[in-house]
Order: sequence, then C-alpha cells, then structure tokens
Amino acid sequence: MLTYIIRRIILAIPILLGVAIISFLLVYLAPGDPLAQFRVPNVRPEVLDRLAEIYGFNKPLPEQFIGWITNYVQVWNPDAWGLSITYRRPVLELIAERTPATLLLMGSSLALTIIIAIPLGMLAAVRQYSWADKIVTTFATIGYAMPSFVLGTFLLYIGAIWFRIFPFGGMTSSLRTESDPLDIAWHLALPVASLAIQSIAGWSRYIRASMLEVLHQDYIRTAKAKGLSANRVNFRHALRNALIPVVTLFGLSLPALIAGAVITETIFSWPGLGSFGVNAIGQRDYPVIMAFVLLGGIAVVIGNLVADIMYGVVDPRIKY
Amino acid sequence: MADRTYDDVTQVPVDDTEDIDRTEVRSYWQLARRRFVRHRLAVIGAITLAVLIVAAAVVPLVVENATGVSISKSFAPAEIVDDEGNLVLALLGYSRTGINMFTQLMAATATSLMIGFAAVLIIVFIGVVIGAVAGYAGGWVDNVLMRVVDIALSMPGLFIIIAFVAFWGASIWTIILAIGITGWTTAARLVRAEFLSLREADYVQAARALGASPRRIILRHMLPPALAPIIVAASLGVADSVVLEAALSFLGFGIGAEQASLGTLLNVAFEYLNREPYLVLFPSIVLILIVLAANFLGDGMRDALDPRQRVEQQ
Repeated sequence: MLTYIIRRIILAIPILLGVAIISFLLVYLAPGDPLAQFRVPNVRPEVLDRLAEIYGFNKPLPEQFIGWITNYVQVWNPDAWGLSITYRRPVLELIAERTPATLLLMGSSLALTIIIAIPLGMLAAVRQYSWADKIVTTFATIGYAMPSFVLGTFLLYIGAIWFRIFPFGGMTSSLRTESDPLDIAWHLALPVASLAIQSIAGWSRYIRASMLEVLHQDYIRTAKAKGLSANRVNFRHALRNALIPVVTLFGLSLPALIAGAVITETIFSWPGLGSFGVNAIGQRDYPVIMAFVLLGGIAVVIGNLVADIMYGVVDPRIKY
Repeated sequence: MADRTYDDVTQVPVDDTEDIDRTEVRSYWQLARRRFVRHRLAVIGAITLAVLIVAAAVVPLVVENATGVSISKSFAPAEIVDDEGNLVLALLGYSRTGINMFTQLMAATATSLMIGFAAVLIIVFIGVVIGAVAGYAGGWVDNVLMRVVDIALSMPGLFIIIAFVAFWGASIWTIILAIGITGWTTAARLVRAEFLSLREADYVQAARALGASPRRIILRHMLPPALAPIIVAASLGVADSVVLEAALSFLGFGIGAEQASLGTLLNVAFEYLNREPYLVLFPSIVLILIVLAANFLGDGMRDALDPRQRVEQQ
C-alpha cells in the first residue's frame, strides 16, 4: 500500500509540472507589458532595464519558469508563492486565510449530499418504476440540467428577497458576530442548499444505477431465497456493494472541496477560495492566479489518489 | 415420415417457417433511426432544439431593432404588431428601458447556441485528432498524449477559461477558443479507446496488409465505426459549452451587452433581482431547455447508434 502511494505521488509529479507550465504560459503569453505602469516619459530607459533585471523579465523563458517553480516548492517560506499585487501580502497567507470558509461550505454540502442522496438513490432503485422512483428521477434530471448560477439565483431570490428568511450573502452579519456559529450557519444555508441540490441530483442518479445493477445479481436472489428480510437484503447485501462506485464520486468531488465553487461563492459573496480566484482574474493579480491554477491541479491529483486508495479499502478484490 | 409440406425455395418444413424472422434487411442507419424514434424523450429533445435554433435564427431577422432600447415603450404590455403595423413579436412585453424582451431573448439564444456549436466543432476536431493519433500509433505516442490529457483534466477548467478570456479580451472568438481548447479531453479519450480496440481488428489488419496508408486506414476504416461515441459526446458537449459560456458571462467576463448571450441577460437580471425578479426567469428557462434537450438527444443517440441494441421485430 505504501509503495503504491509513493509510486502514485511520483507519477503525479510530471502532471503537476505540466499544470505549472500551462499556468505559467497562460500568464506569460497574455498580452500586456508587466512594466507598463513604469513606462512614462520621465522614467529613464536604464531604470526600466534595471527593473526588468530585478524581476527577471530579461531572462529567457525557460530560466524564468525554473526560477518561478523553484520558489514555488518552498512552501515552508510564507513568501514562496509571491506577493499579491492587489493586497501587497504573501499569496500563501491569503490562500490560508480563505481556505476555512471554503472547507466549511464545501464540507457541509458534501455531508448533506451523502446523507440525502444515498437514501434517495436507494429508494428509487428498490422501488423501481414506482411513484417514488419517478419523483426522484425527475428531480435528478432537472437538478442536473440546472446550471449552478440559475439555481443559486433562484434560491437567493426565494430565500433572501421573497421570504426574507436568509441573508443576501457573505459569511457573517457584522464583525461582532464573526465567530458566532449560529450566525455563520444562517449565512451558510442558501449556498449549501444551492450546491447540495445539484450534487444530490447527480449522486442519486448514480447511486440508483449502481444499486439497480447490484440488485439484479445472483447473490441477491440467493439472499432473498433463503428467507432474509427485504431490509437485510437491501442494506446488508446490496447497499454495501452498490456504494463501491460512489467512492469514485467522492474522490472526484474532493478537488471542488479545495478549489471551491467559483460560481456559487461569487453569487453568495462567500469569502472563500473560489470568489478569491475570480476576483484575482478581474484585478489581473497574476501571482494569485498562478497559485490558484496550481492549487487546483494539486487538488485533482490528491482527489484521484484518495479515490483510488478508498476504492481498494472498500473493495477487497482490488490489490495494489 | 409424415406428409409435411416443404417450402419451395428454402426446403424448410412449412410449419417451421413461422419462426423465421421475415423482417426485411435494414441498414445500420435505418436501424439507428428506428431506435431513436422509439426514444420519446430524445425525440422531444431534438424537436425542442430544432425549434429553439429556428426561432433564434429567424426572430432577430424578421423584427427590426430586435435588441434596441426605446424609452417610450417602457413596461409596455405584450404585443405582436405595434401601433404602426410593424411586426414586433413582443410576446413577453417590454422591459423598463423599453427593450423587446422576446426578441432580445431569441437574439441571446442565437449567440449562446452559436458559441455552443462552434466550441463543439473545436472540441470534436482536437479530440478526434489527438484520440486517433494516440489510439492508432499506440506505444510511447499514446503514452505522451494521454499524459497531456491527464494534465488538461487536472486544470481547473472554468477558471482557466475565465482567465484566458479576461487576458485576451472578451469576444465571441476568444470565448469559443477558450471553451474549445479546454474541453476536448472526453472526446479524445472516447476516440482513443475506440481506435485501440479497432487497431487489431481483422479488417483493419487486412487493409494494412493490402498496403493502405495510415491516413486511409484512419479516415476510411477506423473513423466511421468510432463515429457513434463522437456524435453522443458532441451533443452533450453543446449543452456543456452553452452552460460554460453562460457562466462566463454571468460572472461578468463574457461579451458585453452589444451581443448579449443568455449568460449576459442573467448577469443583468441578477443586478435587478430585487426590483425586477421576472427578468431572471426566461433566460433561465431557455438555458435549462437547451441543457435538457441536448442531454436527452445525447442519451437517445447513444442507444440508437449502439448496434448491440436490438429493434423489436414487427
């Protein structure tokens, strides 16, 4: 197992390097001159040359990339990921500040999804073609087809404008209530609902299909034939095996857990990583943008690794 | 032997011929069409998409000043022909600034669908080229190309698209390009998988033995059977691309109001959510319709184009 994990991490290095190269090129090839703000008549050309030298703009492209990426590896140094142009503070520090909000938002919606989607998918599969199944399937299809910004806008209108139950956005009402869990939960409700409805739609479809496949297998018929109760067959025999593919879904949702939901966070002005990244693009905050892309890549690699390891844990037939 | 009557042609006892399938032989595409028509939701999806495409293409053309502002019309009710007898098709009435909301919606639908289809063209082109080369060549070429796919899959897609469009200037073409060059991985994987399994097929080996060039083998012998998954992926890709573009415009990084898409309309509507909430409704409905229709169409085509699915005898 340990050798497997180590091998996977080594295999991930070229992928992360590729992500880094693309993120570097994305910013490097963008039109615009990084020294534009200094190119005014009363700045002498020597000063511009000096600035280019300090920032390394006069070096060849590969050398600039290597300089950038070697800085990046030194995560123990708070300045390693550069300074944000907008905030004039270390990027690493800004990211660390916004991570808890995103983890809270995505973690709650993932937990809610698991709690609701598994029973829904199971119900739809056990009572296939019944009314319950039709309702769940219809809900799943519509929820799946609804873009996150449409769903978010609807929920915001219903919850915050029409019924005036929930706040319009943000994470806390005022600085005074900053660490009041009830206040945060109140602000959390709409964005979590918006994210959870979508993932419940996707997950319940998936669980229904997976459960149906298991229910048609021979050992389920055997279990029924030997007189076990329906509950025992459904929960002990079928559900456990139906949940194996769900582990993959879990791993695939981990990147979103870290990178945040860009759109939902923006709609509800949630102070997490997603809205931070989008604002950084709007303000051309290049160090933050590059950090964000790389962070997304790392999250995907970790998510896939976790999914594969968990797959082996829940399915004893898989050996590493 | 008892007195059995035999069929003149086949020499099979007549009472046994009941079992013979007398359905006439039909081509692959005839069978596919028959399977597709059986798929009720897929047919509804195809019709919905067709109606939307036609309406989006025709309505802005037949109505003058389809997206223009005219303050005198502020909050005017729905009408089909205005006071001077011009065709206006203002089925949804006028907005606060006097914009004809139905024609504006159709013009936005046209922009959205245009971007969606154009982006899918790029997605399919890159996906087919990379998938075909990887699957046909195999070995280290396949290995390198699949690592490129892994890298592309590890990038935060929407974020890259936003950054690309923000840096290079928001126009229809940068948006199409951004969606196209980030979205090809699924198509490439499907084509590669199909090509890997076809590569060693007897008829492909035969073509190779007869001296056909790789170009001919790929284009004439391997691409047609790989077409089914490509078509399905393309129809799902239209939905994805339309939604991506709408997300981009919704976040304010898309094309401006001069060529509004459904996302642009939602972006504007979001600002007036408090006072004029109904503005959100129609762009949302059209967007959901496009996604549902394209998904049903894709599902239906997946079943229709799969030769293993049978058509019941009649």
